[in-house]
Amino acid sequence: RMRRDLGLALLLLLSAAVESNSMSPPGKPVLLGCRSPEKETFTCWWEPGSDGGLPTAHRLYYERERLEGTYECPDYQSAGRNSCFFDKEHTSIWVDYYLTVMASNALGNATSEPFKMDVMEIVKPDALGNVTLLVEEREGSPHLHVRWEPPSNTDTKSGWVTVKYELRVRQDGGNKWTEYTSGTQTHFSLYSISPGVVYTVQVRCRLDHGSWSEWSNSTCVKIPHYNQNERPFWLMVSILSAIPLITAACILVTKRKFVKQYVLPPVPGPKIRDVDAQLLKSGGSEDVDNALMINQSFPPIVAWKDQMEEYLIVTENDDGLPSNSQKRQKSFIIPVGFNLDLENIYCEETTTCQNAWEKKCNEMDRFEVDDTIKPFTSGGYVDIQRRVDNMQGADVKPVDYSRVKEVNGDNILIYEKENVPLESCGYIDVQIRGNIPEDYSRVKKVDSDNVVTLQSRHASVDTSSREKGNHYTGRALQKTRKTNMCTELIESGYVDAIHPSSNTG
Amino acid sequence: MPGNIRSVSFAWMVLVYLLFCSRRASVGAAPICANAQAGCHVLSLANLFDRVIQHSARTHSISNDLHSEFEQYFLPSKNHIGRVSRNCHTSSILTPNGKDNAQRMAREELTEVILKLLVAWRDPLWHFHQNMAHHHDFNNFSSNKALEMSDMVHELRKGVEKVAEKMQVLGIISNTVSSLASPEASLPSDSAEWRLMKDYNLLSCFRRDSNKVQNYLKILKCRIVPEHGC
Repeated sequence: RMRRDLGLALLLLLSAAVESNSMSPPGKPVLLGCRSPEKETFTCWWEPGSDGGLPTAHRLYYERERLEGTYECPDYQSAGRNSCFFDKEHTSIWVDYYLTVMASNALGNATSEPFKMDVMEIVKPDALGNVTLLVEEREGSPHLHVRWEPPSNTDTKSGWVTVKYELRVRQDGGNKWTEYTSGTQTHFSLYSISPGVVYTVQVRCRLDHGSWSEWSNSTCVKIPHYNQNERPFWLMVSILSAIPLITAACILVTKRKFVKQYVLPPVPGPKIRDVDAQLLKSGGSEDVDNALMINQSFPPIVAWKDQMEEYLIVTENDDGLPSNSQKRQKSFIIPVGFNLDLENIYCEETTTCQNAWEKKCNEMDRFEVDDTIKPFTSGGYVDIQRRVDNMQGADVKPVDYSRVKEVNGDNILIYEKENVPLESCGYIDVQIRGNIPEDYSRVKKVDSDNVVTLQSRHASVDTSSREKGNHYTGRALQKTRKTNMCTELIESGYVDAIHPSSNTG
Repeated sequence: MPGNIRSVSFAWMVLVYLLFCSRRASVGAAPICANAQAGCHVLSLANLFDRVIQHSARTHSISNDLHSEFEQYFLPSKNHIGRVSRNCHTSSILTPNGKDNAQRMAREELTEVILKLLVAWRDPLWHFHQNMAHHHDFNNFSSNKALEMSDMVHELRKGVEKVAEKMQVLGIISNTVSSLASPEASLPSDSAEWRLMKDYNLLSCFRRDSNKVQNYLKILKCRIVPEHGC
């Protein structure tokens, strides 16, 4: 019986204990936070504690700075469960609110910790809703225009709040967002987008210095390819225009010889027959001397009939050559790869020639072997003998060398180098290596610095008539600086041609 | 030769003189011209408003930053603040506490409120900057911000005075606005902790007041010259 009583008592105790566990005062609620979407109203939420098994009511009380008394929440409904909504009349900015939530049931109360807040600090706008994307194509490249509406409940017209926006864009598949700031505009344009890619865009906003809203829902768009229609057209155009070009190229290639003839007429060059160009290239000066001296028999000169090429022929005449104290080895013309063809000498009459010239020309019908003729070749050297008028004695004859740069037609271009100092004005003697009498070359043209264009002197080849320069009136040439040619060395002036044998000057 | 030197030196002096003249002219440039005299650089009222609003936004931003920085050093416990109302020295100035109140307020009153607030903060901010300069807890960055804040309030006050002047000239408001005497800031006490708390309190108060000034200016602007950005 004792045991039965004990058991009953235990059971009673247990049931009492069980019953008492399910009923208790409520647990302490926790205030989660508050938020104002437009700086005019605000809402607060709390988390209730355990309810103790009994129906529990929660009440929110607040005190306010500069306001006496404790007040209760004006609206428990509008913002949902466990919330309190403060409308405009009950909202004051820039004042502190002290909020507490009290949970109460039949057995007791529980109060949360006080929560202090100022509406100024809890401003966070609602997420933006209506974000639209528009793809526009301009000049062949697509642009993405993003457009959205400002949050509906904010008052920007009165200047109460200023809304600033931010958006972020992501390409499909990627997980990296690119963020852009839009300021206060409600639209934004993206220019560097690729066709065929899906873009996801989100926008958010904030009021003044408040918190940023949540990101809007994602809006996606796929950029279409734009150039499909135009590409085949341009392809056709390019193919069609390429065909005539190709045919023109083929024609040019097949008829290249003709074209070459037409575009680039052949340049006459002197030729020395029986001279081995290779020998000249490789050999020393002695070998070259020998090579040129070997050939003693020159065919007679015939009057030129054929107008194919012009030549100036030079050779060395050993027979009549006195032992030249001034051995002009240096003056030996060492052209590179030249070929002398003595048969094609001609004499050209120029209208500007004076009588003497013509005379010489006619005398060329009987060309003698001993005559020395001078080919002027590109790369050949001509002595430029400077005749000093006043400064030094007549026997002083510094000889300088200028290199013949180019023989072109009936003109000889002489490029004067530094080694021809022209200190004073006088005559410029062009000394031709050879054995012909002194002759003058008529200066045809003086170029800027160094080029003296001489008229060819084919007609002056004549050993028989050793005519001096008295036929030729040369003008006094004004020489300026040593590196410049005399400025008055102009057309129709004359330059002496001095030969090594005749050491006059 | 001496003639050359003389002419050169004369030309040089003329150049220097011109330079100084232009510099002086530019320094004193852009006064607000009451009667739009010739040669005066006149700024429109909307332009002036935009400038002061930008200024006030920057001021509030700095005060926000400083306040957050202070919270790292001095996090007020709940007991400390509790239910004691904030001890701002500008509490005596009556300010509208909401949008409707601010819109209902007369323009002159609103302008006056703004000016009162700005005048009231000139000295406390200066002292605050001095305190910060002597504390070794805070880095130079904060100290510079405090100085900037103090200067900006000074500039802002001058700007708002100009705006008020222009509005008076244009007849938008009556001539009753004047820089009234502002309530003095309470003197700092000696205790370090009290001073620290005072600084934090001061920053909270100023953060709030700078926000007020910014908002009031924007409301005023959109009421008077609503063309741009309203």
